[in-house]
Amino acid sequence: MTNIGIYICHCGTNIAGMIDVEELARKAAKLKDVSVVKDYRYLCSDPGQDLIKEDIRSMDLDRVVVAACSPRMHESTYRKVLSEAGINPFLLEIANIREQASWVHSEKEKTTEKAFDLVRIAVAKVKKDEPLESLPADVIQRVLVIGAGIAGIQTSLDIANIGYEVVLVEKEQSIGGRMSQLGKTFPTLDCSACILTPRMVEVSTNPKIRLHTYSEVEEISGFIGNFHAKIRKKSRGLNPDLCTGCGECTARCPTKVPGEYDEGMGKRKAIYTLFPQAVPNVPVIDRANCVYITKGKCGICKKVCPAGAIDYELGDEIVEEEVGAVVVASGFDPFDPTSKEELGYGRYKNVITGLQLERLLHTAGPTKGEVIRPSDGAVPKRIAFVQCVGSRDEHANKYCSRVCCMHAIKNALLIKEHHPDAEIFIYYIDIRAFGKGYEEFYKRTQEHGIKFMRGRVAEIFEENNGNVVVRADDTLLGMVMENEVDMAVLSVGMVPRSDSAKIQKLLGIATGSDGFFMEAHAKLRPVETLVDGVFLAGTAQGPKDIPDTVAQAKGAASSALGVISHKVLELSPLISEVDERLCRGCGDCKDICEYGAIELITLDSRNAARINPALCKGCGACTVACCNGSIKLRNFTDTATFAMLEAVLGGEA
Amino acid sequence: MKEYASFLGCIIPNRYPGIEASSTRILGHFDVELVQINGASCCPAPGVFSSFHLDSWLAIAARNIALGEMTGKDIITMCNGCYGSLTEASFLLKGNKELKEKINGILSKVGCEFKGTSKIKHVIEVFSEDIGVKKIQEAMNTSLEGVRACTHYGCHFLKPAEMKKHGSSERPRLLDEIVEASGARSVDYKDKTMCCGFGGGVRARNLDVTLDFTREKLNNIISARGDCIVDQCASCHLEFDRGQVEIKKIFGQEFRVPVLYFTQLIGLGLGMGQHELGLDFHSIPAKPLLDKLNGGRR
Repeated sequence: MTNIGIYICHCGTNIAGMIDVEELARKAAKLKDVSVVKDYRYLCSDPGQDLIKEDIRSMDLDRVVVAACSPRMHESTYRKVLSEAGINPFLLEIANIREQASWVHSEKEKTTEKAFDLVRIAVAKVKKDEPLESLPADVIQRVLVIGAGIAGIQTSLDIANIGYEVVLVEKEQSIGGRMSQLGKTFPTLDCSACILTPRMVEVSTNPKIRLHTYSEVEEISGFIGNFHAKIRKKSRGLNPDLCTGCGECTARCPTKVPGEYDEGMGKRKAIYTLFPQAVPNVPVIDRANCVYITKGKCGICKKVCPAGAIDYELGDEIVEEEVGAVVVASGFDPFDPTSKEELGYGRYKNVITGLQLERLLHTAGPTKGEVIRPSDGAVPKRIAFVQCVGSRDEHANKYCSRVCCMHAIKNALLIKEHHPDAEIFIYYIDIRAFGKGYEEFYKRTQEHGIKFMRGRVAEIFEENNGNVVVRADDTLLGMVMENEVDMAVLSVGMVPRSDSAKIQKLLGIATGSDGFFMEAHAKLRPVETLVDGVFLAGTAQGPKDIPDTVAQAKGAASSALGVISHKVLELSPLISEVDERLCRGCGDCKDICEYGAIELITLDSRNAARINPALCKGCGACTVACCNGSIKLRNFTDTATFAMLEAVLGGEA
Repeated sequence: MKEYASFLGCIIPNRYPGIEASSTRILGHFDVELVQINGASCCPAPGVFSSFHLDSWLAIAARNIALGEMTGKDIITMCNGCYGSLTEASFLLKGNKELKEKINGILSKVGCEFKGTSKIKHVIEVFSEDIGVKKIQEAMNTSLEGVRACTHYGCHFLKPAEMKKHGSSERPRLLDEIVEASGARSVDYKDKTMCCGFGGGVRARNLDVTLDFTREKLNNIISARGDCIVDQCASCHLEFDRGQVEIKKIFGQEFRVPVLYFTQLIGLGLGMGQHELGLDFHSIPAKPLLDKLNGGRR
C-alpha cells in the first residue's frame, strides 16, 4: 500500500496563469493511493520545500509527485527534499506542467485537463519506482590539461596552487601558445611577454605540474574520475635531459627556412627554439628540413653541442597518465584568407594578415619591431586594415571573432605612435569594442587621427609599384571608394584548430555549427561539456580575448577541482542493468551504446553483456536493442511504461 | 561520337552566327555533334524576366528544357544568359516538388513536361570536361604565340556559385586554361570578373550606364596591353563588340579591341579563316589581331 503526496507549484503566474490549480488539485486528490494534495506559490523556495518535508514526516508519505517545471530545473532539489525527510530520493516523479503545459498552450480549461493527465501519468509511474542507491566510484585526483597557451597555463596553475597534480600537454615545443606571439596587448598596451613569461616559468617550476611539451594526446579512455591517457612525446632529435639550452646548435645550423612562429615573416634554422624565453628552453630538429636527416650530410649541431645531447635517431616515446578530469584548452587557428580570393592574399605581397603585422611589430620579431612591407622592405606610410576577414561573412564564418577590431585598433595606434605621419584607414562593418576599457581605447585611437571607414572591403588589387588599391562601399558616404595604400592588413578571424576534430573524437565532446567545442549550456554551464569530467577553457570553445580566456580558464580549473577534490564520486543509479542469467551475449547492446559503457564478458563459458555504471548515461538505447528483454533501465521499466499508458488512456491510475 | 542538344537562344542566330558556326565546326573536329532543339524560344533572360514574374520565367525556361529532353540528350548553351536561365530553372524545379508540379501543370497545356533528365551544360564545359585541355593543345596547328588575350567569363556563368559550381567564382580558371591551351597568353587585367554591363536589363533601360561599365572594362584591357577580348557569352560578346561602336558615339572614345568567342580563338589555332569562324560579322574588325598573327608566323 503506497502513500503518495502530490505538490502543485503555481510558479507565480507561470503555471497558475494558464492552469486552474485548484481544479487540478481537486481532481488529483481523487486519484488512488494519494493521501494529500497541496498547491503552493513557489514550491522550490525554502518554505515550499519545508512543506513537503513536513508532510513526509507527519503523514508518513512514502512517494512524492511534484507538478511544477521541467525536471531539468529542479529534480535534484526535490530529490534532496525527499532524502532529507528520510525517504529514498528516487521515489519522486516530476509532472512538467510548465514547459509541457502552461507555457505552450493558450486555453485554460484544456491546459488544466492536460496538466491533470501529466499528473496522472506521474502518479502511475511513481508507484512503480524502486528505491535506488547512488554508486560510489574512486577518483584519481589529478587533472589532464590539453594545450599550454594562456588558457591551459592559467588552468594548470590554479589547480596546482590549490595542491592537486596537473598533467599539462603541449603540442608545440614550448608552452605559451598564441599569446607568446603577440607584442603589446590591448587596451593597456602592456607587453604580452612581460605578463606571460612569469607564468610560463611558474609552470615549469611548479612541482605539482607535470609538463609534456612537443607531445600529443593520442588516446583517452575511461570516465569521470578515472581517465587513462596515452601521450606521444615526439622526438626532438636530442636528449632534453642533457641539453643545457646554450643555443650553440641553432647559431651554427646552416639551414634557414621561413618560420611558422613568425607567420612566415622571418626565417628560422632547422634546429630551433620558438622564441628566446621558450619553456622548456630546448630546441627541436625540424626533420623535414634538416640536411643531415634528409641527405645524410652536415651534422654540425652534433659536433658543436657541448653537452653531447644531439641524437638524430632518437624515437618518439609513449607515456601513460591517469587522471580524474580533463580540461581542453587547445586554442584556435587564424583564418586562412587565401580563400577570400577577392582580397588577394598570397597573390599580392603587400597584403598581409593581422598576425603577420603583429610579428613585425614585435620587438623580438623578425624586423625587431620595425613595420616594413614585404615587397621592397620600405616603411609603409599608408596602411589599410580590412576588418571581418573570414568573420561575419556568409561565405566563410558567420560568427564574430571578437578580437579583430581591438587588435587592428591597437596595432594602428602603435604604428601611428611610431610614425605620426602615417595614414591609417580601418575598414569596418561595426566596431566592436565591448570589453572593459575597450571603448575608451577606441576613442583614444580616433583622437590620433586614424581614419575609420565604414564599409566592407569588396576587393583589393595591385598596382605596378606594389601598392594595393582597396575598394569598398563607404556606407556613410554612400559611395564606392578606391584607396591606394602601401600595404593592406587583413584582420583575420579565429577558426577552430585544424586538429580539433581529432580532440573531439578522442573525448567524445560535441562541436557547434561553428566548429568550436560546445559547452553544456550557453549561459549557465560555460566550461562544462556534455561529457562528465571534461571541461573547456579559452578559444577552443569560441573566439575570445585574453581577459575572457583567463576568466574561463579559472572557471575550468574550479570545475575540474569540483570533480577531483573528492576522493569518491556518487554516480547516478538511473542506469541500465543486465540480467546476466537471461543475456545471450549477442552484443547488439554493445554496438548501439554511444558511450562505450557495455562490454562483453565471459560467464560460465558463454558471453554476457556487462554495463560500466560510470559510463552509462541511462539513455535506454540498449534496452530497446536487446532481443530478449534482458536489459532494463532502472525505474524506466516496461511495467512502469504500461502503467503510465493505462493511466493516461483512461484506466485507473 | 558524343551528341548534345544545342540551345541557341536569341542573340546567336540573330546577331552573331559565328558563335554557332565556330562552336559547331570545332566540336565536330573533336567528335562532338550538335542536334537542334525544335521549337525552342527565348530562354528567357534570367535576371529581368524572373524578377518580374518568376512563374512565367520558370514555365518558359522549363518548356525549353523539356523540348531539349525530348531529344534524349544533354543540353548545351553557348550564351551565359541561356545557361543561367536553364540551369537556375532546373535547379529550382529539381529542389522543389510543389513548384515542379505547378509548372508542369502549366506545361501540360502545351504538351510538355519538365522531367529533369537532361543535364544542362555550357559549351565551355564540353571543352574542359569532355575534350580536355590536353587534347585541345595537341590539336592546334597554327601558332597563336604572342597573342595577349583578356578573358571575360560573364556573370551568369559563375554566379550564383552554389548553383553553378565552377570552382572559384572570384578567380575562375576554366576559360583561361582553354585560352592558354590554344597557344595564346591569358593576360590578367584589373576587374577581370566585373560585369560587361549588359546584364539585368540595364542595357535596355540605361544604355549610358551599360556602356560606362563596358568602357571601364575596355580601358582596363588596354592598360594590360590586351590584343583581344575572349569571351564565352553571346550577350557579353554583343556588349563588347557593338558596345565599342556605341561608346564612340556617346562618349567619343574609340577602341578597336577585337572580340572573340573562345571557339573563334581555338578556330584560329586550328588554322580556320575569318569567314569560316564568322569573324566578319563583327562590328569591330579582327584585322589587327590577324595581322599580328600573320606577322608572328614569319
